[in-house]
Amino acid sequence: MSPYFFYLFAAVLIFASLCVVLARNPLYNVLALVVAIFSLSCLFILLEAYFVGMILLLVYAGAVLVFFLFVVMCLNLNTVTLSSPQQSRFRVLGSLVGLAFAASFGLATTSFIKAQYMEASSIRGTIETVGKILFTDYLLPFELTSLLLLIAIFGIVSLAQGALSTGKDTENL
Amino acid sequence: MITLGNYLALSGIIFSLGLVGVMTSRNVLKVLLSLELLLAASNISFVAFSKFNGDYAGQLIVFFVILVAAAEVAIGLAIIVVMYRRLSTIQADELKSMKW
Repeated sequence: MSPYFFYLFAAVLIFASLCVVLARNPLYNVLALVVAIFSLSCLFILLEAYFVGMILLLVYAGAVLVFFLFVVMCLNLNTVTLSSPQQSRFRVLGSLVGLAFAASFGLATTSFIKAQYMEASSIRGTIETVGKILFTDYLLPFELTSLLLLIAIFGIVSLAQGALSTGKDTENL
Repeated sequence: MITLGNYLALSGIIFSLGLVGVMTSRNVLKVLLSLELLLAASNISFVAFSKFNGDYAGQLIVFFVILVAAAEVAIGLAIIVVMYRRLSTIQADELKSMKW
């Protein structure tokens, strides 16, 4: 049962990632990433990492990507601002670097023979087990992330204030 | 039977796709979305190694990666909004000056 689900979600994930990279319209890019995150969360649940899978679904698909959608809609991007007269100069180079990375990943994965024989352990990443470790061994990093989020809030507020004040300046001019 | 190798191969494919997206797109919003793909690829590896090694540390690191990515996206989108207000475009090529 499990192998078919892995291949199904892996195929959906790869297809959605292709859409993220190739689609023209930013709205479709964001929606494709929502599909990718959803299938990623399903893969995590197949690996019995329930807590991380649900957090990914709630925080990523629920909050971060909706935030992306808000910005895409607020910016009111029309085809004039999006259509670029010339293609990126890095298109060929970027694709070549991507292919080189894919080849080196393939080589590394196939030469890592042990990966084919490792037995899956019986750990289950439920809220109870992950939460216990999070609040004992990883308490300091967990508390420090609150500081990180606070700094992020300060950064956003200062950026937004700067944008507002300059907007008024240009209006007066 | 799904082995660790399958998950690592999937992670490599997604990472390469994200890398191509970061390097080839001129739209700043799309660069940010491709960065999310890079983080997602590393998350697959972390969770797969956590499962096959029997260690919860990988799943905790994924938790922290999600938190950091949320902060990064918030700041990145704020910068994109400011850029759109100033330059009325979100093409990366239009960012020519080092200073506003």
